[in-house]
Amino acid sequence: MKYAITDKCVGCHACLLVCPSNAVFADPDNPKQFMIHPRRCTGCEGQHAAPQCASICPVEEAIVNEYAIAVNPLGSLTGIEVREHVNTSID
Amino acid sequence: MELHTDERLSATTSSCPSSQTDGASVSHLLPKDVQQQIARHPCYSKQAHQYARMHLPVAPACNIQCNYCNRKYDCSNESRPGVVSHLVDPHGALKQFRAIKKRAPNLTVVGIAGPGDALANPKATFSALKLIRDEDPSAQLCISTNGLMLADYADALAAHGVNHLTITINTIRPEIAAQIYPWIYYDHQRLRGLEAAERLIRNQLAGLEAAAKLGMLVKVNTVLIPGINDADIAELSAAVKARGALLHNIMPLISAAEHGTYFGVTGQRGPTEAELASAREASGQFMPQMTHCQQCRADAVGTLGGGCGTEADNASKADNSFKVAVATNGEPLIKTHFGHAQQFEIYRLDPQAGEFQFLERRQVAQYCNGESACPDEEADKQAMFKAIEDCRMVLCSRIGIAPWRTLEQMGITPNVDHAFAPIDVALAAIANSQLAATTHSQKESSDEVCHY
Repeated sequence: MKYAITDKCVGCHACLLVCPSNAVFADPDNPKQFMIHPRRCTGCEGQHAAPQCASICPVEEAIVNEYAIAVNPLGSLTGIEVREHVNTSID
Repeated sequence: MELHTDERLSATTSSCPSSQTDGASVSHLLPKDVQQQIARHPCYSKQAHQYARMHLPVAPACNIQCNYCNRKYDCSNESRPGVVSHLVDPHGALKQFRAIKKRAPNLTVVGIAGPGDALANPKATFSALKLIRDEDPSAQLCISTNGLMLADYADALAAHGVNHLTITINTIRPEIAAQIYPWIYYDHQRLRGLEAAERLIRNQLAGLEAAAKLGMLVKVNTVLIPGINDADIAELSAAVKARGALLHNIMPLISAAEHGTYFGVTGQRGPTEAELASAREASGQFMPQMTHCQQCRADAVGTLGGGCGTEADNASKADNSFKVAVATNGEPLIKTHFGHAQQFEIYRLDPQAGEFQFLERRQVAQYCNGESACPDEEADKQAMFKAIEDCRMVLCSRIGIAPWRTLEQMGITPNVDHAFAPIDVALAAIANSQLAATTHSQKESSDEVCHY
């Protein structure tokens, strides 16, 4: 597994459309969140300079690498250091 | 995400010259065939309020980040640009179109306005456009885009019969754009800062020029952000006009903190009425202006009538209008319990035509789980009542006694007589009895006058 999607995902479809390996799919238990197929994901190696899902994902901490480290950490996309929300939910 | 809108012209077509306020008239600037196309488009012309439009929410993904947008969009109690309660695939969109068209013959305009960017989802966008065009060649097709990919797709849009196009361009200065867009996704990479800003502006202007050359009617939307892009509106307006844009719609920034956008969180304020008017005046030297923008949802359906309200004829129309709300979650039959309704379809009785015309679909807060931002159960109920407070009757399959009484206190008649009947049949029956009653009372009153 190269990359994975966390429960921060808001299901915006952006990664689904740009993944060159068709590795992104909707979570069957929660269609508003997406998952990355661990065997299909190549990390875009040999295809693109950067993983495409992480390059377009608009949500911080929604995509993690193989070490479970967020590729887009808090503050990296919005410039806002957001507090950890207790009540965060995806409607 | 693209900020998409519906709006009406303040500079109107020739049928209403007296309401020109911005010094530029579409009728003076445009050839007759273009005027006619505009006059039938409710997003372009105030005169087109009898025509309904439908936004197909088939385009979820976006390829840029705007500081006035938050991608956590799917909260049903919110009504603001980019918000949509559900996505549909192109075939689902066609089904919705057929269902609405059946009940609303005045549906003439079909657009794709997100909730992401239409051209960041080319497959879904073009597939939906083709399905609708094949179904109804007379439908006017339009899309709304941030312009990043427009130059690449302008030919394809023209080939699919798209003749109305809206591009959101907030500035032509990269240093300003960098304060509005933190990043874009282009050519397989995330670009940031000035590099992103320069690329976006270059592509927007090239796309605008290409689309205009292909004969599309291009409208430019600009979100007015005080202290950021307000000083350069005239420059922007002149630049987009030079590349073939037809109309300019300057919209106020929406930046409520609870929406969680960058501008909302950092306290960026929206413009005052005076600032908005001054920006429109600056732009009005170059281009016709649009006002009364409704900044609609990506799944908005219906006419824009009744929202304008400044003119006497509109006000009197509103007073006499007989509106009916139908609790329906999309089915053609009245089978939704009042308390389970996620949306109401609103119809207005047209006394001349003797029938109800579809006006719009209103979402109500129902299954919202975001505890921090969403209302509790009691507030949910209040929101349901609020959503239909201007209606005189509500049709549903069943309703509890408590909401029944509340509705009656509000002057709204709950009606379960037509439970499980088709909506159009029920509305026809109500129209008949209503018009018969009106005729009767008119006759009575004229009799009274005679006798007197």
